[in-house]
Amino acid sequence: MSALDRLPSGRGDRALIAGVACLLVGGLFALTPLQASLPSALYVFVEVGITFVIYGMLVLGLDLQYGHTGLVNFGHVVFFAVGAYATAMLAAQDSFAGIALGYPWPLALLVGVIAAALLGLVVSATSIRLRDDFLAIVTLATAEIFHSIFVNFEGIFGGNVGILGVPRPIAGLVGDADTRMIATILVIGGVTLITLAAVTRLTDAPYGRVLRAIRADELVTRSVGKSTIVYKTQAFVYGAALAGLAGGLFALYNGAVAPGFFTIQVTVTIWIGMLLGGAANHRAVLAGLAIIMGLRLVSRFGLSVTPVSGDVFAAFRLVVVGLILIAVIRFRPAGIWGDPQELGVDQ
Amino acid sequence: MSLLSAEGLVKDFGGLRAIDGLSVSIDEEELVGVMGPNGAGKSTFFNCVSGVIPPDEGTVTLDGTDVTGDPPESLAHRGLVRTFQNTRELETMTVRDNVRLAAPDQPGERTLPALLRSGSMKREEEAVRDRAEELIETFELDHLADEYSSNLSGGQRKLLELARTLMLDPDVLMLDEPFAGVNPTLTREIADHILDLNAEGMTVVIIEHELETLTELVDRLVVLQQGRLLVEGDPEAVLEDERVIEAYLGGDAE
Repeated sequence: MSALDRLPSGRGDRALIAGVACLLVGGLFALTPLQASLPSALYVFVEVGITFVIYGMLVLGLDLQYGHTGLVNFGHVVFFAVGAYATAMLAAQDSFAGIALGYPWPLALLVGVIAAALLGLVVSATSIRLRDDFLAIVTLATAEIFHSIFVNFEGIFGGNVGILGVPRPIAGLVGDADTRMIATILVIGGVTLITLAAVTRLTDAPYGRVLRAIRADELVTRSVGKSTIVYKTQAFVYGAALAGLAGGLFALYNGAVAPGFFTIQVTVTIWIGMLLGGAANHRAVLAGLAIIMGLRLVSRFGLSVTPVSGDVFAAFRLVVVGLILIAVIRFRPAGIWGDPQELGVDQ
Repeated sequence: MSLLSAEGLVKDFGGLRAIDGLSVSIDEEELVGVMGPNGAGKSTFFNCVSGVIPPDEGTVTLDGTDVTGDPPESLAHRGLVRTFQNTRELETMTVRDNVRLAAPDQPGERTLPALLRSGSMKREEEAVRDRAEELIETFELDHLADEYSSNLSGGQRKLLELARTLMLDPDVLMLDEPFAGVNPTLTREIADHILDLNAEGMTVVIIEHELETLTELVDRLVVLQQGRLLVEGDPEAVLEDERVIEAYLGGDAE
């Protein structure tokens, strides 16, 4: 059988096994006195790695929405933020500002996911029938609205300080910093791998065929008997819930949330990662995200060897990211690993 | 009793009345052709019946049930499927996936069976594959099965659209210009397929400009003009009707 012939087969199962293995090993580090040591030169890699696996869940959800179903969501960060804030406010023991309810963190995480999914459902219910570009505007506006709500309702969301005193379950179990970082990246990375397995199963199944048909031509998909509104809503809500999960895990890893973590910069990073890697291909979007986030590492090291100030360097990095995006659109419009025929960009 | 009937359909587009009190009734296992000059309202009639646009007035009845304004997806479940005038392929999908997509009642199109890779999904998918393969072979597209449908020629697209529609095993098949832009050999081939389907008991409604093929093919012709029913009946008789000749040759409608 050719590669084009998608079978609901074992694809994605390796990711599932690897994800479970990561969780188990991570749990081993967290729950037993087992210790790991990390050369200090690698700290920065693990730190960026943790952000990468969290953003990985965002890009997988976004790819389900845009890559497979064709829904343009320019406000993905809002679901990440809502998941993070809901988890943080419910779990925080004592915050300097804003609400801290002190519930157990697993409950808080669950509520975080549900809150993001509900917001996704509300946005879908009002706007999913809109044409692509209008949905883009609605989602972008939603993200901006929530951003200013988080900043301005200080009594509830803690303003620019955000919510502090969020419990850090892994840090609570492991005192040693090296072991803690290893355990964190293994546990969150495990969740990301399981997410990868889940979305792969979903899109390899006939379910994914319907999503890709909607992306190709919604009216045809309806005329062969598929309720496209249901599928579009589901894809949007699943993406939102995944972003909520990522947000909740971020809050529980970081120990605090603040508006500064949830700027449009997050949306831009995952969009560029997705387009660079190749939409509609789960592993490609993760790889694309890795390339974009790898630039952060390069720039951290680059800063120390270039004779410019940090500000200039940061601006320069944005220029490089922009140039990469232009190069991708010009030379590989389907992304590095994307299939031009499947994305309909083959001229 | 008629299987599909439209009663007093009216559809306005702004100031233009595209169809005006149109009533058409189609019996079970009939093969009906719909013709008429450009702008007569053929496609609007199709769109109103197939749920692509809701009619402003009138009712559509399918097998005794009022389905006026029902969306295309629910009509497809009830056994009414249509094709489009300008073939609409899912260009970013392969020929195989185009045909497989239309399979009804695949449990793997729901989230949980898809996530769990349930046995029922796998069994159903095996059946879907076999059926799709069969249809692809029938329409002689097998050498193109793995090709993206954007690479197909106009005639091949018509065949693919027909194959995809048949995956649903409809009771009523509505074809919007199935011979437009198709070479004579392929036209003959498509016409034969339509005859076979009709002989097997499928009710077929065809819009077509290609009068020669259409009159040979159908049991009954319905001629529309300016959104109204002009003449209907036996193809030969209809073609000799003066009103039809006038409508087509653009004589003065007194």
